[in-house]
Amino acid sequence: MATNQTAHADEHAHGDHRPSPYNPLRWLFSTNHKDIGTMYLIFAIIAGVIGGAMSGLIRWELAEPGVQIFWGMADAGNLGTDKLFSVQMPDGSHKAIFGNEHGYNVMVTMHGLIMIFFMVMPAMIGGFGNWFVPLMIGAPDMAFPRMNNISFWLLPVAFALATISMLVPGGSMGQGFGGGWTLYAPLSTSQQLHGGPSMDLLILSLHIAGISSILGAINFIVTIFNMRAPGMTLHRMPLFVWSILVTVWLLLLSLPVLAGAITMLLTDRNFGTNFFNAAGGGDPVMYQHLFWFFGHPEVYILILPGFGIVSQIVSTFSKKPVFGYLGMAYAMVSIGVIGFIVWAHHMYTVGMGLELEAYFVAATMIIAVPTGIKIFSWIATMWGGSIDLKVPMLWAIGFIFLFTLGGVTGVVLANSGIDTVLHDTYYVVAHFHYVLSMGAVFAIFAGFYYWLPKMSGLKYSGLLGGLHFWIFFVGVNIIFFPQHFLGLQGMPRRYADYPDGFAYWNYVSSIGYAITAVGALVFFYMLLDMFVLRRRKLETAENASPWGEGATTLEWTLSSPPPFHQFNELPVVAEEKHH
Amino acid sequence: MAMSPNTPQNIRWVAICVAIVGGMLAIALNAAPLYDAFCKVTGFGGTTQTATKAPGVVLDQTIEIRFDVNVPPGTPLEFKTGQTSETLKIGETGLAHFTVRNLSDRPVKAIASYNVTPHTTGLYFQKLQCFCFEDMVFQPGQTLDLPVIYFIDPDIVKNRDTRDVHTITLSYTYYQQADG
Ligand code: HEM
Ligand SMILES: [Cu+2]
Repeated sequence: MATNQTAHADEHAHGDHRPSPYNPLRWLFSTNHKDIGTMYLIFAIIAGVIGGAMSGLIRWELAEPGVQIFWGMADAGNLGTDKLFSVQMPDGSHKAIFGNEHGYNVMVTMHGLIMIFFMVMPAMIGGFGNWFVPLMIGAPDMAFPRMNNISFWLLPVAFALATISMLVPGGSMGQGFGGGWTLYAPLSTSQQLHGGPSMDLLILSLHIAGISSILGAINFIVTIFNMRAPGMTLHRMPLFVWSILVTVWLLLLSLPVLAGAITMLLTDRNFGTNFFNAAGGGDPVMYQHLFWFFGHPEVYILILPGFGIVSQIVSTFSKKPVFGYLGMAYAMVSIGVIGFIVWAHHMYTVGMGLELEAYFVAATMIIAVPTGIKIFSWIATMWGGSIDLKVPMLWAIGFIFLFTLGGVTGVVLANSGIDTVLHDTYYVVAHFHYVLSMGAVFAIFAGFYYWLPKMSGLKYSGLLGGLHFWIFFVGVNIIFFPQHFLGLQGMPRRYADYPDGFAYWNYVSSIGYAITAVGALVFFYMLLDMFVLRRRKLETAENASPWGEGATTLEWTLSSPPPFHQFNELPVVAEEKHH
Repeated sequence: MAMSPNTPQNIRWVAICVAIVGGMLAIALNAAPLYDAFCKVTGFGGTTQTATKAPGVVLDQTIEIRFDVNVPPGTPLEFKTGQTSETLKIGETGLAHFTVRNLSDRPVKAIASYNVTPHTTGLYFQKLQCFCFEDMVFQPGQTLDLPVIYFIDPDIVKNRDTRDVHTITLSYTYYQQADG
């Protein structure tokens, strides 16, 4: 530090020297954690809109039996004139823009990949992580600001490759890769089914997204271990920082395994290896083991930062420290550790031995224990607190409720006997959407409404935020709750069509989508109102902290928005002031 | 930026992280040999075993072995089994016949792959002689008789997973190889 003292002196003057947002170089070459965080958030919103529109096409297709949008197979004659999304070719015939049933599967596959890799992860880790980890531990920036820039800019590249993958030939059935986000062999290796360049581009895209995440993970690890302000011991770190710390360790340990697995897919496809090819002595089930060794930690990567966000919010709006702080921190650590030894609960149907199955059932159920600790601690934090139902708190309580529901169906699926029946049905789809598109997404919105005034220095309309919450809450429940019924009735996932018996709840589910879409419009109107129409600045009195005495973490000691370079004088964290 | 990123503590953590990433990647890329070894030892995924001599012990209990043969669509081979099933005593040596005929007018190079279901019985399905995982070339029109000599290891009745199994299916698939 000593050598930097002189540099400090003249940097003070620049402390609040903020380059113009209209200068593209500010963003392209940015090494500022707050600017990079902002870019991640905007990127996630764009990817979320695209992924959300794709799920709209899925629900549209499934609204009633028969093929609505993906009617490309019926293309033989010229019956495309009165069909949806029909386009006239130069020779006068009509084609379906979105192709055939394979197009449907491409839509499902890419929806999943985009939401996971380009929406939830960038928002939680890249966005909130970059913005608030340095602020919360009292650091001036991330440890490696330039590497941070690379982490971000690799993402649009990966996203572009994924988009191109949808447009180039995928194989005999049409454009794109339609084998599901899990990329199971042999669907993903078969030259007959996916011989085109589409799958290769997708592999490349995931490699690049993975490198981006690994670089980010290293950056967070070094930042959290080496750049905490004096007095900010590990056991005084806010729970959001803990959640990011556990998450990035999971990334570091699991992503290389995915990278290895998809590299083997690539060589099986192009260089004649037989890792997953039964004809050459390989085993496609080995791909599943490798994938899920990554995949299960990945689902916790998606939700752990949400746990952290919700902990901060529940504490702030109950005006109490989090109940059982250490228990909360170590619950996340143990979820992370156990998360590595439960992967085969996604593979009960491959036919393992009874004993192995029994092990995976037991290990999976054990994860419910630290998860339960978290849920009870949030409730205990609220218990007897003076609860302020501001918009972020609404989302956080919504999160607790919906995530718990998804956790319960997870425990149901953990039983291998039950899962043999429910595997690959809509019951599983309902489960992971309760934990993801409601759990993770509600946590993201909670964090967004919590920190938006801090990031921008502006006020939003609580009325619009609340309206957004309630419409969303009703909408997503109407989409996904009926899918439990469909799954229990035996409706399989990843088909564009279904028998008439499943029509009723599918129709209800699609109506839920329409309601949710209205909620999303309210969200964008809220942003428009906040940043353009009214642009109300936070009053001076509440400039540092609009949430009052409950907001105790370090970011609330700074102005809103925080100075471009903060903590030139490192804050000292005292015993009673932490989390 | 208040601090230079390249402090020794920072570099140390970066080195640790890079080592972890490299290590995990290496394990993943070597999954194939590791997994093969694991399957051979445990019979995981219905990997059958090879033995050099019959067990000597024959139990009174019988077990039915069913035979399934198939080729992927478009393979110019006819693959048949001489018997759809065979019932024998546990520990007794059985002999099954398979025939393969090349339907095309060109030599066909192919390789057989197999497993048993329930997968858990893989550990106890012992082969004394078989045709498997070796390239074979079938001349145009040629028919080959391929025998498999096997027995069921009497230990099958000692395992909780397998003691109630009364039927085992042995399934063979013939895959044409690219260069033939
Ligand atoms: C109490 C905790 C949980 C338990 C016991 C649990 C259990 C399970 C089980 C057994 C399956 C496999 C179902 C099947 O494919 O047949 C599954 C699927 C899934 N779970 Fe969970 N889960 C839990 C929490 C979570 C969380 C927190 C997330 C993500 C935020 C999540 C995301 C998923 C996803 C994405 C799938 C489907 C993967 C696919 O096949 O495409 N789960 N879960
Ligand atoms: Cu899992």
